[in-house]
Amino acid sequence: MAAAQPRPARLKAAVHYTVGCLCQEVAEDKDVQFSKQTIAAISEITFRQCGVFLILCRHAKRSTVTTEDVKLLARRSSCLLKYITEKSEELALNNMEQKEKKKKKSSAVKEGRTSGEHEAAVTESEDYNMA
Amino acid sequence: MEREETVGRLLHLHFRDGRTRVNGDAQLLMMEMLNVFVRETAARAARQAQAEDLGKVDVEHVEKVLPQLLLDF
Repeated sequence: MAAAQPRPARLKAAVHYTVGCLCQEVAEDKDVQFSKQTIAAISEITFRQCGVFLILCRHAKRSTVTTEDVKLLARRSSCLLKYITEKSEELALNNMEQKEKKKKKSSAVKEGRTSGEHEAAVTESEDYNMA
Repeated sequence: MEREETVGRLLHLHFRDGRTRVNGDAQLLMMEMLNVFVRETAARAARQAQAEDLGKVDVEHVEKVLPQLLLDF
């Protein structure tokens, strides 16, 4: 049974909190203060902007939003596009590294089992022997 | 990551028809976009307030920078 969808109010509260944290950083950086209403306003705008982003993504008529769609959102500003492209490359690289790790792990386990069967004096294989 | 989950739910909320989904990486990337968006809004509003010789940023400053911000995004 699927978990109940969170109510918009809770989500808005979460966004509000995050926006508050980010604004605090900017406030310290620029040595200014943000009024509570300002944080609330930015929070509301961000919430709506999320919807706008998604409507733009939907134009692709696919059912799943991909990183390419998100990159398209950034195309209006060249430095934003550059930043987002860098981030997506970081993610892709990270994914590749994760896959490599998994491959190495599973092939090492296979080798461990085979050498155990051939009674080779390889101590490492003992770690992989199934009880 | 808590923030990632929030973004995921945020996006789900906007896709009420339930047909559209967002893949994992796209969620992380979207989170970056929103981070930048928030920081940019806050920074521009702050600059506007400072240009008016004020130390406190109010809603009117956000209102002033909003049009250009939405064009840039």
